[in-house]
Amino acid sequence: MPIEAHYDEIARCNRCGFCQTACPVFRSTGREAGVARGRIALLRAIIEKRIDWSADLEDPLFACLLCGACTAHCFPALPTADLITDARSDYLDRVGRKPLHRLLFDHLLPYPKRLRLAARAAALGKRTGMSNIAKALGLLRFLGRDFPKAEEIVAQFPAQAFRDKVAPGEFPGRGESLRIGYFVGCGVDIMAPVAAEATLRLLQTVGKTVTVLDNGCCGLPALTYGDRKAARRLAAQNLDLLASHSFDLVVTDCSSCASYLKKYPQLFDEGDRRREQAVAFAAKVRDFVEVAAKAERPRTTSSARVVATYHDPCHASRGQKITKDPRDVLRSLPGVEYRELPEADWCCGGAGSYAMGHYDLARQILERKMANVARTGANLLVTSCPACILQLSYGVRLAKLPVRVCHISELCSPAEAGAVCE
Amino acid sequence: MANQQLLTDLRRIVGRGQVETGPVAAATYSYDASLALGEPGTVVFPTDAAQVAAVVKAAAAAGVPCTARGFGTNLSGGSIPARGGVVVCLSRMNRIVSIDPARRCATVQAGLTNLDLQNALAPLGFFYAPDPASQKVSTLGGNIGENSGGPHCLKYGVTSNHVLGMQVVLADGEIVRLGEAAFDPLGLDLRGLFIGSEGTFGIVTEVTVRIMPKSESIITMLAVYDRLGDAARSVAGIIARGIVPATLEMMDSPVINAVEDSIRAGYPRDAAAVLIIEVEGPAAGLKEQAAKIQEVCLANGCRNIREAKDAAERDQLWAGRRGAFGAIARIAPNYLVADCSVPRTRLPEALERVAAIVARYEFKAGNVLHAGDGNLHPLLLFDARNHEHLERVHHAGREIMEACVALGGTITGEHGVGVEKLEAMRLIFNDDDLDFQRSLRRAIDPAERLNPGKVIPAPTRSSGQAGGESGRSPMECGSEATAFAGARTSVPPTAGAALPHSTHSEEKSLLPSDAAEACEMVRAAATSGTALLPVGGGRRAEYGNVSSRELTPLRTDKLTATVEHDPPNQFITVGAGLRWAKLQEILAADRQWLPVRPPLADGCTVGGMVALAACGPERYRFGAVRDRLLGLRFVSGAGRLIAAGGKVVKNVAGYDVTRLIAGSAGTLGLITELTFNVLSIPEVSRAAVARGSLAQVAVAAGELLTSNVEPAFVTVAPDTAGGWRLAVGFEGFETTVKWQIDRCRSVQQRAGLTVADDVNYPVYDGLHAGTFTEIFARPFVLRVDLPPDVVTAFVTQFERVVAGASLLVDLACGRVSAGVDRLADGDWTAVCAAAAKAGGHAILEKAPAEFKQRYDVFGPPRPEWRLIQRIKRETDPHDIFCPGRGPRTNAH
Ligand SMILES: Cc1cc2nc3c(=O)[nH]c(=O)nc-3n(C[C@H](O)[C@H](O)[C@H](O)COP(=O)(O)OP(=O)(O)OC[C@H]3O[C@@H](n4cnc5c(N)ncnc54)[C@H](O)[C@@H]3O)c2cc1C
Ligand code: SF4
Ligand code: SF4
Repeated sequence: MPIEAHYDEIARCNRCGFCQTACPVFRSTGREAGVARGRIALLRAIIEKRIDWSADLEDPLFACLLCGACTAHCFPALPTADLITDARSDYLDRVGRKPLHRLLFDHLLPYPKRLRLAARAAALGKRTGMSNIAKALGLLRFLGRDFPKAEEIVAQFPAQAFRDKVAPGEFPGRGESLRIGYFVGCGVDIMAPVAAEATLRLLQTVGKTVTVLDNGCCGLPALTYGDRKAARRLAAQNLDLLASHSFDLVVTDCSSCASYLKKYPQLFDEGDRRREQAVAFAAKVRDFVEVAAKAERPRTTSSARVVATYHDPCHASRGQKITKDPRDVLRSLPGVEYRELPEADWCCGGAGSYAMGHYDLARQILERKMANVARTGANLLVTSCPACILQLSYGVRLAKLPVRVCHISELCSPAEAGAVCE
Repeated sequence: MANQQLLTDLRRIVGRGQVETGPVAAATYSYDASLALGEPGTVVFPTDAAQVAAVVKAAAAAGVPCTARGFGTNLSGGSIPARGGVVVCLSRMNRIVSIDPARRCATVQAGLTNLDLQNALAPLGFFYAPDPASQKVSTLGGNIGENSGGPHCLKYGVTSNHVLGMQVVLADGEIVRLGEAAFDPLGLDLRGLFIGSEGTFGIVTEVTVRIMPKSESIITMLAVYDRLGDAARSVAGIIARGIVPATLEMMDSPVINAVEDSIRAGYPRDAAAVLIIEVEGPAAGLKEQAAKIQEVCLANGCRNIREAKDAAERDQLWAGRRGAFGAIARIAPNYLVADCSVPRTRLPEALERVAAIVARYEFKAGNVLHAGDGNLHPLLLFDARNHEHLERVHHAGREIMEACVALGGTITGEHGVGVEKLEAMRLIFNDDDLDFQRSLRRAIDPAERLNPGKVIPAPTRSSGQAGGESGRSPMECGSEATAFAGARTSVPPTAGAALPHSTHSEEKSLLPSDAAEACEMVRAAATSGTALLPVGGGRRAEYGNVSSRELTPLRTDKLTATVEHDPPNQFITVGAGLRWAKLQEILAADRQWLPVRPPLADGCTVGGMVALAACGPERYRFGAVRDRLLGLRFVSGAGRLIAAGGKVVKNVAGYDVTRLIAGSAGTLGLITELTFNVLSIPEVSRAAVARGSLAQVAVAAGELLTSNVEPAFVTVAPDTAGGWRLAVGFEGFETTVKWQIDRCRSVQQRAGLTVADDVNYPVYDGLHAGTFTEIFARPFVLRVDLPPDVVTAFVTQFERVVAGASLLVDLACGRVSAGVDRLADGDWTAVCAAAAKAGGHAILEKAPAEFKQRYDVFGPPRPEWRLIQRIKRETDPHDIFCPGRGPRTNAH
C-alpha cells in the first residue's frame, strides 16, 4: 500500500518519544531520524507534502532494523516496521530501484541451487566477474555487506551447504504419525549446515516422516528492501511447492523465516485465491524452538562447564512472541547453567543494517550486545536465526570473548549436544 | 538556513558525522512531545562539555541561538528551537562518571536517561528519588531543565531537591560548576535558579545528584472508587492524618479503560477512579500506616482497597500508571495535557470545573493526577490535523489554567512553561514579577542566545505599571498586612547586642508597616543614594562581608501578619518579621510545625531564617529551609513588590526566584512575606546517643547512612570527657522510631561505641539548640560544608584549629560548625584550601570586623561568582541592598 494509505495510523503518533527506550539504532546514534518517532514524523511530512521524496530519505528509511522494539513500547502500538517496509517500496518506486535488488530478488533467491553456487563462488573469490553478484548477495543479512571482502566470513564459510550434502526428499522418523516438512532457510542452508543436520535429527525423533524441502527463499529479504512484487512471487513459488505435499507441520529452524511464513496471508489481498492457500499454510508453520520445547531432550551430560545465555532474534521474540520456549529448553539441558542476557531481546544489529552502508551503526549496536554478553560470564551464546549467528559470531571475535555462538538445535539434538558443549 | 561558516565550524568541533542539516533534520527536530513546532537550522551531537562550549561560541559568533535538547519528551515546547538556530542534542552524552555510595552521590553526563541511572544504582541498593513517568526516555539534563517531578515526589520532593551540583556551559561558552557534592554552595543558590530554567541560562553537561539507600519495605495499594470526588477526598484525608505516603496517584475512568485496553494493569474497568498509594520505609510500623490509609479510604467511599501481593503485581500497577498518557493516545491521535496544581483539598472542585470546561468544548478527556501533590493532568483528546480542534483545545486548556489559578493553584506543576504556557504566565505573575524574571535572564544570558522565546512572555507595558492580569497589586497586599500587624506585637531586639557593626546607623532605622511602605522606602533610598540592611531579629546582622558604605537598617518588626493558614493543605503564609517561635505557636494549634530548626532559633524571624537559608542538621530528613518554602514576596532593588512561587507544593512556572532569594542574605531585596509547607508534629522525637572515638563514630555513621533506617539527623560533638558523642535522631510514629533506634543501637555497638540512654528531645528546639547558642557566642563561627564521607577526617586534620571550640559535626549533611575564640590567618586559608580540595567549601558565619577587612568570609573567589555579581547588578542597579555583603570576585 502506498504510504498515504496509512495516514490515519501515522497521525496516531503523539510524539511521546517512548519508542526511544529500546530502539537499538536510536540508542547507538541518538538521532531522531533513527527512531520510530522520527521516521513516522518524516512519513507524515511526506504525506502532508512538507518534504519531498529524495535521496535524503534513504538513510531514515533503510537504516531501520525492522526489529519492532519500538512497537513494543508504543501505546498506540504503531507498526513502524510495517510502515517503513511500505515506505521503502514507495521510495524505490519514486527515487529509484537498484539493479542489485533485481539481480538478487529475481535471479538468485527463487533458485536455491543457483544461490548456493553463487555464494560459494563469491566466498572463494573464484571469478572476477562476480563482483555484482557478490554485492547483491551482500544484501542478505546472513552474509553481510562486506561479504565479498570479509575474510572472517570466508574463513568460516562451510565446506558444503546442507542441501548439497543432504539431498532434499523424504526421511523416515521415529514419531507415530506426524508428517513434517522441513523448510530450509537460505541462511541455514548455506551458513549453518551443522545446525540444519541437528534440526533434521531432532525432527526425526518427532515425525513419522520428515521431508527436507527444495524450497526457495521465503521472500523476507525482498519485502525488507521494499520489493513487494518480488516478495509475492517468492511466496507464490513456495506455496505451489507445498501444495504438492500434505504435511501436518512445516518447521523451519530460522526464526526469521518462521515469523515471515506465518505472515504470508498478509501479502495477498482479501479475495485473492493465494490468500486462502497462505492461511492454510501459515497455520502449519512452526518455529523449530516451538517443536523442540515439546520434544524429548538429550540426556547426555557434558563434562565441560557450560554456561549458556540466549539472544532473542527479533523475529522470534516480537515476530512470533516466542521467548519462553528457548529458555525452557536451555534450562532443561543437563550440565548447562543458564544465565539470562541483559537486554536479550535487543536486536543484534545484523538485520538489514549492513545493506545500505550502516556498517558503523551495526558495529555500535553489536558492541552494546557484546558488553551484555560479557556481563553474563557465559561461554555459550545460543540463538535461533542464522543472521543473528553470523552477526554475533562476528561480535564475539571483535570483542575477543571466550564465547562460542551456536544455534539452539545444535544443543537439543541427540548426537550433537555433547560435542557443542565440549 | 544554516550559514556556511557556521556549518564548517560545527563540523570541525563535533566531527562531520555529528552535524545534521537539511530537510530531514529540520523535520525531525521541529517537535518535542508537546503540540508546539519550531524550525532548526542545524543539529549537533556533542560528546563532552568542551564540544558544547565550542558549539555555543561558534553559534554566538554566527549570531544564531542554541537550544539544548535531551530526549525531546517535554510537554511544553521546551526543546523546540522557537527561533531557529542550532539544536544541541545531548543524546550521546550518556556516560556515568561516578557512583559513590559512601558519599551518597552520583555524577553523570546530562544526556543519561533517568532510568539508566536508576538501573545502575539498583544493584548497589540505592535510588535517585525523582521518577517522572517518562523516566525511561527522559534525560537528567531534561529533568533539570523542567525541574521534573514524579509519583514519588510526594515523599521525596522534585528534581531541585536532589541535584547537588552541575557543570554548565554558559551563553558565552564559559564552563562553570554550580554546586558540588557538598550542600549549600556559597553565595546565591545558582544551582537552584538554573534548575527549571528550561535551558535558557546554560546547557548542563554534567550532573551530580543525591542518591539514597532504598527503603526496607514497600506496600503498594490500589484503592477503587465509584465516585471521583471520594477519591480526591481520601487523598486530603490521608495527608491530614499525618501520613506521608511515597505516592498518591490517581486515574479516572477513561484513563483506566485506556490503560486496560493496552496493557491490562489490573484496574477495574467499571471504577470511576483508582488511587495507587504506596508507603515505604522501615518495615516496622509500615503495616499500621497502610491500615490507617485503608481506614481513611474506606471512610471516604472507597469501594475496595487491596495490596499488591508481590513485586510483579506492583510493577504491573505501575506500568499502567507510567503508560497512562500513552494509553490515552489510543483513543485519539493527539492529546493536550494540562499540568495545573491546586491545594490538594481543592482537587474535587478542580476536577468538577475541568469536567465542565471539557464538556463545554465537547472534548473527550481523561485525568491522571499526582493527587498527593495536588497536581492534575487533564488530557484532552483530539486530532491535530483538524485546525479548528487545535484552536479549540488551546482555548479549553487556557480555561482550565484559569480555573485552577482561581482555586489558589498554578499553571504548571512539572511540565514547564516552554512556549505553550507563555501567555498563561500572566495569570499568576504581574508585570513587575515578570520584569524581575526578565532581569535575571538579562544578567545571565543578556543576548538571549540560549533557547530564546521560552519561559517568560514578552513585555506588554500597555497594561500600565504594577498589577497585571493577576488582579494583585502591591498596595492590596500591603494593606492586608497592615490590618494584621497591629494585632500582633513583636519583641524588638535589645539595641547594642543586636547590631555590633559600626557601619549600621541604628537611629535612622526604617520600620515599614507594610509591603507598600517598604517599597516606598526602597524607592526613596534609591533617590537619596542610601544603602539598606534588611534586619529581622538582628542577631545575625553582621553576616557576610563588611560594607564600605553606611547601612540603614530596614526592619521587618511590623511585618508579622498571618496572611493565610490552611492546615489541611499544610501551608501557612506569614509576614517575614514573624518570630520563628511565634510561627510554631500558631501552627501548634493544629498539631503542625515547620520542621526547620535554625541556629539561634529563639530570637530569629522567619524572614531572617530564610534570608540566611539557616537550618539545623534535621535538614537531612526534612529538607533545608529552601526546600520547605513554597513562595515568597520581596521588595526588589527597584522598589517593586515581587511575588515568587505560590502556595502549592509543585510549581515550575517561571524561574525559581524563591530559591534565589532564600539564602540571598538581604543582598537582593527585603523579604516581606513567606509561604511554607508545614508538617504534622511527629509522635516522638528521640535520639540514640553513644560515646567513643571519632573513628568509631565515623564507622557507625557510615553504616547507618547507607542503610535503610531513616534518621532525622546524625551528629557528633565533643563530650565533656574528651571523647565524642554521637547522636542519631528519629522523628515520627512511635513504632517506627522504636524499631529504628533498636537497629541503630546494634550498629553503634558493632562500631565499638558505648551506648548511652535514649534522649527524648523537644520538637521545636530539637537536640542542638544549646550547642548552637554556644557556637555563636564565640567571636569566630566557622562553617565547612563537605562531602559527608570526609567530615570526620577533616575534623581530625584540623584538630588543632578546633581544639577548645564549640563544635557540632553534622555527619549526614557533611557540615562542620565551629565557634572558636581565635582564628589565625593561615588557619583560615588552610581550611578554605582543604575544604575546596575535598570537594566542599568554608565560610565564616561570624568574624570580627577587623578580620573581615582582610578576608572574604566566603573564601577565595570562584568563577561562578561572576554570575552572582551580574544578578546583583541587574536586579539592584543602585546597589541599595547590603552593598559588599556577598562574595567578592576580586578579593585578596
Ligand atoms: C508520556 C509522558 C509522561 C511524562 N511524565 C512526566 C512526569 O511524570 N513528570 C514530569 O515532570 N514530566 C513528565 N513528562 C515530561 C518530560 O518527560 C520531562 O519534562 C522530562 O524531564 C524531559 O526530559 P527530556 O530529556 O526529554 O528533555 P527535553 O524535552 O529534550 O528538554 C526539556 C527542557 O530542558 C532543556 N534541556 C534539555 N537538556 C538540557 C541540558 N542538558 N541543559 C540545559 N537544558 C536542557 C530543553 O531545552 C527543554 O527546555 C512526561 C512526558 C511524556 C511524553
Ligand atoms: S512510542 Fe509510538 S506514539 Fe510514542 S513517539 Fe514513538 S511511535 Fe509515536
Ligand atoms: S523497528 Fe527497530 S530499528 Fe526500526 S524504529 Fe523500531 S526499534 Fe528502531
